[in-house]
Amino acid sequence: MEILRNVWRRKLRSTLTISGIVIGVLALTTMGALSENFNALLDGGVKYFSSSIQVGPPDGQSASLLPLSKIDEIKQVPGVAAAFPSYGFLAKPGAVTTVSFGVPDEIIAGDPGENDWGLLKLSTAQGHYLSGGAGEVLLGDTISKEFKKKVGDTIDLPVKPADAKPDFINHTFTVVGILNVTRTAPDSFAYINISDGQMLLKDSLPVAIRSQIDTSQITESIDVYGQRGSSISQLDSIADRINAQVSGVKATKPSVIVNSFKSGGAIFTAITTAAALLALIIGGLSVVNTMFMAVAERIREIGLKKAVGATTLDIMREFLIEATLIGAIGGLIGYGLGALITIIVNGTTPAGQSTLFLITVRLTVLALGFAVALGAVAGILPAFRAARLDPVTALRNE
Amino acid sequence: MAEVRLEDLRKHYKRGSEVIRALDGVTVDIGKGEFVAVVGRSGSGKTTMLDLVGLLLRPTSGRLLIDGVDTAKLSDRDRAHMRALQVGFVFQEYNLLPTMNVLENVMLPLRYVKKPADGRAHALELLERVDLTDRIKHRPSELSGGQQQRVAIARSMINRPSLILLDEPTGAVDTETAEQLVVLLKRLNTEDQVTIIVVTHDLDVASQTSRNIRLKDGKVLADERVGAASVA
Repeated sequence: MEILRNVWRRKLRSTLTISGIVIGVLALTTMGALSENFNALLDGGVKYFSSSIQVGPPDGQSASLLPLSKIDEIKQVPGVAAAFPSYGFLAKPGAVTTVSFGVPDEIIAGDPGENDWGLLKLSTAQGHYLSGGAGEVLLGDTISKEFKKKVGDTIDLPVKPADAKPDFINHTFTVVGILNVTRTAPDSFAYINISDGQMLLKDSLPVAIRSQIDTSQITESIDVYGQRGSSISQLDSIADRINAQVSGVKATKPSVIVNSFKSGGAIFTAITTAAALLALIIGGLSVVNTMFMAVAERIREIGLKKAVGATTLDIMREFLIEATLIGAIGGLIGYGLGALITIIVNGTTPAGQSTLFLITVRLTVLALGFAVALGAVAGILPAFRAARLDPVTALRNE
Repeated sequence: MAEVRLEDLRKHYKRGSEVIRALDGVTVDIGKGEFVAVVGRSGSGKTTMLDLVGLLLRPTSGRLLIDGVDTAKLSDRDRAHMRALQVGFVFQEYNLLPTMNVLENVMLPLRYVKKPADGRAHALELLERVDLTDRIKHRPSELSGGQQQRVAIARSMINRPSLILLDEPTGAVDTETAEQLVVLLKRLNTEDQVTIIVVTHDLDVASQTSRNIRLKDGKVLADERVGAASVA
């Protein structure tokens, strides 16, 4: 109680000091939430790509087309446990891409059984997973909200652009399920069966060659899996063997993709966190200044406390608690305001766009913990100075 | 009650190349329950002696024993504990904490004692004894000088010390208030059998104690029972 009164003894000064911490923690919270959101997106990519090998056409081939027969060849490579064809199409062709932390809406065609192999597990919030029948679509959380679709509704895919040519083709799919939120790419994906993927592939081919290609024997890429629990280095070795043993394909090492994701995330986190920490450190310096002034103003009080039995540690503890309290108050207010801003901005994000911020337990602990620790650290020098004061000199200080 | 023994106690300071002999070989025995005034001119060493006895200063040489304990052998922490439990301080400028009310000021020393027994009740009892029951929620700034000094006296008694040290307790109050404070101190000395050492310029105050120790240039000039033969 006394400590609260001491903090409030100089209202304006305490308010300004706490404001410094508030701004710092607010910056840390919002920047951190931005970073957490981005990292969640990347984590999904890391999970997906660290458990599979992406096989596509060799370098120099313009069209991303591979014969399905390559899957059988790949399965012969030692270490390969499973391989699945994969097709991807823009769900909104011709749409203007805006700056976003999400990924564009895509239609992904694949084998429903593939979900059992990857580390990134998809689960349904409504309805059921793809059963293999034609005309089914399983929507990610974001895309389902964007188009306001629920289980049983139909959706035409790809979405016809406003300026579509007369020969634009799309198909009606029935929504059989809505995925749980993943905070990563699948939120913006519409999953369909392989046969439907091959149909969309045919639609996407130039008219001149469309009739000459049997898309039922073609895939865009192949997702390859090793035994469950395979490490990235083991998958890298399998990728090397595929490249050596299977002609006309190129297997990308998972480590290359994963590392690019991680380095992108690390740079983003470093930039956002550094900016926020800078603000917070400036706030911390104001706590140092405030506490030094508090010590200077309360020299007689310190002398008195020593005279009535306070030890050096007692005095140090009192000033440290006071500085920590300033940090904690600033931290709570800053975190509260930061969280409020993220909630408001996320709440006003149009349906279908990925939200910008993600408040996590880790971020909450970091923001509040750092504010409290900063207050405590900022209080060390002033508290030490207070505790070391000679009681006789302090008592007679004018 | 405390027994205080100063044996050839010295406190020297260096000021540049000059050595200031604030206390220069003082030997005094103060018995349990005595009410002693330390008098002398400014710079005679009164306050230094009080600070030494109150364990706020360490002597340059000599010994200080409180209840038989050689205080030179105590660590800073033990000296702080001894101050908390056995010594009460009253200062000329009261030194009450402005953010605390009267009751909280009186209870302040309890914070530095490990097992404060019946602290609040004792504080209220002390405030009743100094006639401030109706002021317990007031801040120091709302009290007169005499009232503030009575709060300081109550605070000095909160841990039931055996020794109370007062540094010019009447220096900032008017004559009438000073008389009331001395009456209060005499009552505490008698009722609680607490040893009281008061540093004062005020001869009226000194005359109401049982013993006067007169210092000059850091040495004992005279040590006499009030109204009785000289002690030393």
